[in-house]
Amino acid sequence: MTSSTYASLLGLGAAVVLLCAVMTLWRRSVGAIVKVLAVQGVALAGVALSIGIDHHDATLAVVAVLVLAAKGVVVPTLITRVVRHDPASRETQPLVNVPASLVAAGALIFLAFAASRSVTALAPTATGRLIPYGVAAMLVGFFALATRRKAVSQIVGILLVDNGIALVAFLATAGVPLIVELGASLDVLLAVVVLQVLATQMRLRLGSLDLDQLSELRD
Amino acid sequence: MLITLLAVPLSCALLSGLAPWRRATGWLGVASSLGVLIGGVVLATGVVGRHAASGFHGVLRADALSAFMVIVIGVIALLATLQGIRYLDAEIAQGRSTRRHAALYATLVQGFLATMLLAVLAANLGVMWVAVEATTIVTTFLVGHRNTRTSLEASWKYIVICSVGIALAFLGTVLVYLAALHVPGHGAHALDWTSLVAQMHHLNPGVMRLAFALIVLGYGTKVGLAPMHSWLPDAHSQAPAPVSALMSGVLLTVAFYAILRFKVIADGALGAAFPRTLLVVVSLLSLVIAASLLLSQRDYKRMLAYHSVEHMGLIALGAAAGSTLAIAAVLLHILGHGIAKGVLFLTSGEILLVEGTSEIEHVPALLSRRPVLGGIFAFGLVALLGFPPFSLFVSELNMLRAEFQVGLGWAAVLSLVCMAVIFGAVMTHGRHMLLGPRGTAAPVMTPALVAVPLIGGLVGCAFIGVSAWPLQTLLHAAAHVVAR
Amino acid sequence: MSAAHAAGVVGASAVQVIAVAAGGLVLLGFMRKVRARLEGRVGAPILQSLRDVRKLFRKERIRPDVATWIFPAAPVVLVATVAVAAVMTPLITTQPAMSGGSDLFVVVYLLLAGSTLLALAGMDAGTAFGGMGSSRAVMIGALAEPALLVTILALSVTTHSSNFPAIVRATLANPGLIASPARLFAVAALLIVIVAESGRLPVDNPSTHLELTMIHEAMILEYAGPDLAMVTLGEAMRLALLLGIFVNLVLPWGVATSTTALGLVVGLGALVAKIAVLGGALAFFEVFMAKLRLFRLPELMAGAFVMALLGVVSGLVVK
Repeated sequence: MTSSTYASLLGLGAAVVLLCAVMTLWRRSVGAIVKVLAVQGVALAGVALSIGIDHHDATLAVVAVLVLAAKGVVVPTLITRVVRHDPASRETQPLVNVPASLVAAGALIFLAFAASRSVTALAPTATGRLIPYGVAAMLVGFFALATRRKAVSQIVGILLVDNGIALVAFLATAGVPLIVELGASLDVLLAVVVLQVLATQMRLRLGSLDLDQLSELRD
Repeated sequence: MLITLLAVPLSCALLSGLAPWRRATGWLGVASSLGVLIGGVVLATGVVGRHAASGFHGVLRADALSAFMVIVIGVIALLATLQGIRYLDAEIAQGRSTRRHAALYATLVQGFLATMLLAVLAANLGVMWVAVEATTIVTTFLVGHRNTRTSLEASWKYIVICSVGIALAFLGTVLVYLAALHVPGHGAHALDWTSLVAQMHHLNPGVMRLAFALIVLGYGTKVGLAPMHSWLPDAHSQAPAPVSALMSGVLLTVAFYAILRFKVIADGALGAAFPRTLLVVVSLLSLVIAASLLLSQRDYKRMLAYHSVEHMGLIALGAAAGSTLAIAAVLLHILGHGIAKGVLFLTSGEILLVEGTSEIEHVPALLSRRPVLGGIFAFGLVALLGFPPFSLFVSELNMLRAEFQVGLGWAAVLSLVCMAVIFGAVMTHGRHMLLGPRGTAAPVMTPALVAVPLIGGLVGCAFIGVSAWPLQTLLHAAAHVVAR
Repeated sequence: MSAAHAAGVVGASAVQVIAVAAGGLVLLGFMRKVRARLEGRVGAPILQSLRDVRKLFRKERIRPDVATWIFPAAPVVLVATVAVAAVMTPLITTQPAMSGGSDLFVVVYLLLAGSTLLALAGMDAGTAFGGMGSSRAVMIGALAEPALLVTILALSVTTHSSNFPAIVRATLANPGLIASPARLFAVAALLIVIVAESGRLPVDNPSTHLELTMIHEAMILEYAGPDLAMVTLGEAMRLALLLGIFVNLVLPWGVATSTTALGLVVGLGALVAKIAVLGGALAFFEVFMAKLRLFRLPELMAGAFVMALLGVVSGLVVK
């Protein structure tokens, strides 16, 4: 793979990851948000695969397949199970309205680029320059987590933060050691399973997945 | 050796899950905790003054610090599993739980112990991260064990906030890995703690600064340091009492152990100033927030949870001081706080069981109505507030001394002010709960199974406070691992 | 500049204006036909718009009593500004007239100048629907402006210049630029902005007859006769020019790099083909889309803004 096609592929993948993070703030329908999450998982796997092919690293390619399976297929399926009982569920009134959220996302992107300067200075390669995309995706995920009212949106926020950090890990260090990567993926999967179980319980017990219902414990 | 230490709770977890709960399962859990404690003592004698033990192809490693943490885990697990028998029996008797559910509880508690052991015995910072994340996942179900609306809310908040924190800690770990990869001549062992410490002076300072900040923010969420503490009062008050004891007594400090490991590397790469400032800010924030919120608490379990936030703040301040004396005091405080907080949570669980409410104003006159229970609670509060002869007095005094020595006197004074406010608040609440007229009912005796371990725990805490022997050398060796 | 070259430039500019004028009306008819066929109707003939304009020119000139000079001036200014923009844009050749001043900002703002005056004229007629249409149109314009500005910035950042012919030449020289994330994001944002500015679905339905749902049509409700003919012509030219700008930024092949006659013919053919494809695609998707509710428009424009921002950031980062 020539270095310029490699650089463009990586740039495209990283940009798609960030775009998907922003689209979860844009779209209202929960079903659409889950599809966007699946696309983000595929883009992440694509980035890992490109880096693996370029570095001739077989473990990274295996990890890419793992990421594709876990984040592109399994996790969205699990989340769809949560909303299966309410397919028309929409995030109609987030704490910050959609245009303001999108403008805030733009500001967070700039913040991410400013904050990651020391990291990109350490690794000024084609991959290293894309690290701020991952940091930005993580920050947008935080924002989604903090300003959305549905339980499913919080799960999606956690996964966005995880995907952003995974992108940074792939770009900065060509992945972490295999044992850590396996453990991390397993942990993320288990966390989603736990969240799905809790969300189902919430729906059975409280009747809705609206987080405003969870407000009994306070000082 | 190390792998057998891990295998003990893991196999108990498997065995507990096989059949519906019986008393025997509970005693099996107690045996497992005892095994962990004995293993920790054996490990400590093995590593003090000699090389660190390593096991399982270098994935596991135990130096003095790890051995000390294993002992802490073992002691509090012993108390919690002993009380767990009583708790599960009562829950099943009162119809709030089934035998299958109780078996799940027993399995999860053993799994919890196993993941905490893995976290303190990991040689690789990445494996340590995986273990800490695993504790979050295991404890979420434990927090929601009681299956009420409030416990569901508590477990949701717990897993959302702690997952986010752990994700930040992962980013910090990745950044440390990046910095290590760029040191010439490194490579396959870049996340191994010993090799990181060997190379720590060559790590890029800009990246390390960002990484350490993320580590403090991320693992600090699990420690319960402000401003990431909001899950703590909910989770610790809604969880079953033995789980609260384990979480408040041990899990918080296991997460702090992770911060200590990273602090060693950060001190080497950045000098002591930046890590110290960061930890001082976070600790003072925790102390101030805990002090301001304790007075208005109406629930005694929430009060104890906020008290944990205060103690974590004190521990962070001690770690910020960073000298050998400070770290030794911090470690002693970890043990003492673990025992005292564990005893208090277990006692409060018993109070909840027999009184049926967790509101302070609805459980008055405990000393007259339930003398043994009230007495244990009173002594537990006394221990936590830092009175002699309990060990918290010694550890707090030494931490203050170390802070003055290092130049953090102003922070020490601020912490003293907060501690005074908290003292007043806890005394007020304690007075409501303990003193008062008995009324017409006769005083109720507490069963021996409950009282004996709790009294034993408090006696042990006092014993360590009076004479630091058996732990003296271990504490010094462990402190030397961190403070160089 | 040699005489032959000057003649070539003048010829190219003339061809561009005529192509945009006539082609714009044909484009309107073509898009209407595509939509009709997809909906199962036969639809009006493709050249119907030309016949309509010719018919309108012959009709009586009627103006409201309360109207000021803005009312008759707006259609003329609209056609004039679009014609000037058509002369300056590198549609058929990368060497249009005034190519030194042919800045992307200038072209876009020339296009918007006419519609600003048209909004004023809508209020000038003194009717309720006119005012409503004008205020809605100006709101959309105000929301689309930041997105448009940042999109133009994103398009210029990879070529370090906002000179339109320079951008087209750079893309012709380096085809890999089209697949760069910066260009992709900018193009996506540009599509949304173009749909908003030319009043097509999902922003505005051009074939609605219900006044309360109109945005653009309500502004020109009071125009009749030759004034209406000029407005229709101006709008058609604007649509053709916007689509032409879009296709030449995305797929610039076929644009002549010189001013020879053969190059101009090839350029014209390529332009017609590309605009026909894009117009047909727009009409195709319009059949499946519903108009967005008015208060959802800020979300769409904010989304376009963030995409354009992503384009700028990508352009600065990915070299």
